[in-house]
Amino acid sequence: MAHASTIKNFKNTPKPDRTVQFRIKRCDGPGQPSRYESFNVPIESGSNVISCLQYIAANPITVTGQKTTPVVWDAGCLEEICGACTMVINGKVRQSCSCLIDEYAPHEGDVITLEPMSKFPVVRDLWVDRQRLFESLEKVSAWVPIDGSYDLGPGPQETPQQSEMRYTLSTCMSCGCCLEACPQYQKEDDASSWDTSFIGAAPLSQARLFNEHGTGRQLKGARLDALMGPGGINDCGNAQNCVKVCPKEIPLTESIAAVGRAVTIHSFTRFFTGK
Amino acid sequence: MATQKNSPLRQHHFLLRRLHSLSGIVPIGVFLILHLTTNATILWGVLNSRAGSDMLARRVGTFQEEVSFINGLPALLLIELTLWISLGFHSILGVYYAFSGRPNVREYPYPDNWRYTLQRVSGYVGILFIFYHVATLRWGWSFLVPGGTQWSHNFAASTLAAAMQGSEQGYTVAGIAVSLFYFVGVSLLVYHFANGLWTAAITWGLTISEQAQKRWGFVCAGLGAGMMLLAWASIIGFATLDYDAAAEIEGAMHSETNIPAAAQSHADNTNP
Repeated sequence: MAHASTIKNFKNTPKPDRTVQFRIKRCDGPGQPSRYESFNVPIESGSNVISCLQYIAANPITVTGQKTTPVVWDAGCLEEICGACTMVINGKVRQSCSCLIDEYAPHEGDVITLEPMSKFPVVRDLWVDRQRLFESLEKVSAWVPIDGSYDLGPGPQETPQQSEMRYTLSTCMSCGCCLEACPQYQKEDDASSWDTSFIGAAPLSQARLFNEHGTGRQLKGARLDALMGPGGINDCGNAQNCVKVCPKEIPLTESIAAVGRAVTIHSFTRFFTGK
Repeated sequence: MATQKNSPLRQHHFLLRRLHSLSGIVPIGVFLILHLTTNATILWGVLNSRAGSDMLARRVGTFQEEVSFINGLPALLLIELTLWISLGFHSILGVYYAFSGRPNVREYPYPDNWRYTLQRVSGYVGILFIFYHVATLRWGWSFLVPGGTQWSHNFAASTLAAAMQGSEQGYTVAGIAVSLFYFVGVSLLVYHFANGLWTAAITWGLTISEQAQKRWGFVCAGLGAGMMLLAWASIIGFATLDYDAAAEIEGAMHSETNIPAAAQSHADNTNP
């Protein structure tokens, strides 16, 4: 999807040597009020949002000529693999490293709005703290249990089809796009309520990934138990925004339905066998 | 959500969620299909050749027979209680669950996101509509009916037409509002059921792959379209019904001295 729109937009040749205005939501620290500041940035061919933020960091002067503090952002790999630079660009969540200015602002004076993700607490400016997402991965035991005092032997055989399916799920980089776009996933400032607030698509899909793993399925019961409670699979409202904003095109809605089927079977089994 | 640690809502979270899903299909959804089919006889009753040759008598007569049949069901109150309890359960939990979401169609205007938002809006409007519908026509709260018509199950079609049109003499301004409320309310409820049936298949894990969800979507859309036609047929039928003419047909059906047109034609058919 993303690729198709990129190609389409590139048919309009971007104007060279233009200036694009960045309107950035700023916040000096946790709990501080936020404000918007605008910066003019000269665009070179191939600029992305990160290179523009680097220009602003070197030239922290707003459009009204006032000197301000450099804008803070988080970034890592710069190739849409790590998820650290995820932010809300023109109202939609995505990675800023892969956001090319030629596509978003091909004309002189075009405005690009940058905001931090709204579902996580802001550390400063565009940098957010995604700790809750990592605790959610802990909640669903998103790992393969291999620690032990004895040799576990070779892992179970796996079909190529199964392997291919799990590979797609394994490309999740915990960026938080699916959570930001989800109308059921809300910002929770109180960490003690994280456990019972909706967990969102990414951890649900990771639970499926490890339930499908030959050795990982040893923890399947514990994962499903965790997802049957408040904040688990049943709090999904099927708006299906997650799958549309996922930069890795992971079939998140299929994962949600698969976990739904797993907890249905799990609950019926438990009802009739008591286990 | 701010519930106590040991609240029943938390302890039985899974059970309540799944009962909420189930109750929307059985009994509420099944009842909705039957209810719309029955009501739509006010229009497709014209096809009921056993109810005489007069078109209006066929429509009013068939609907009246359906109503009389339902009123003769054994343990009717038990059926009603089951429905009221299910509706109350589904409504209260539904509103509570819906309040946990914050629609964001402005930022993410995907069709599925609209579908999600409309599911919640249709739920809210649907609750108001069902309450008005049951309070006025079943519990007899005629002070909520413009013109104060009291629905009677012996004059089922005529009194319903008067309640919807605002008076026994035809449309009033308030009557137009009531009829529009019926149109909007019933349409939204049919949508709510069709979409709920689609999402229930995901909730329970029946449809997993995108293709399966798409295929089941066609089934639900088809069912929804059919139910929508029944709903609109019912509303058109009652909204265009003449009170006096309908009441005369119904009166004849209940009078022992007058042989009802329907019964007469039935007798003609069975005794050649």
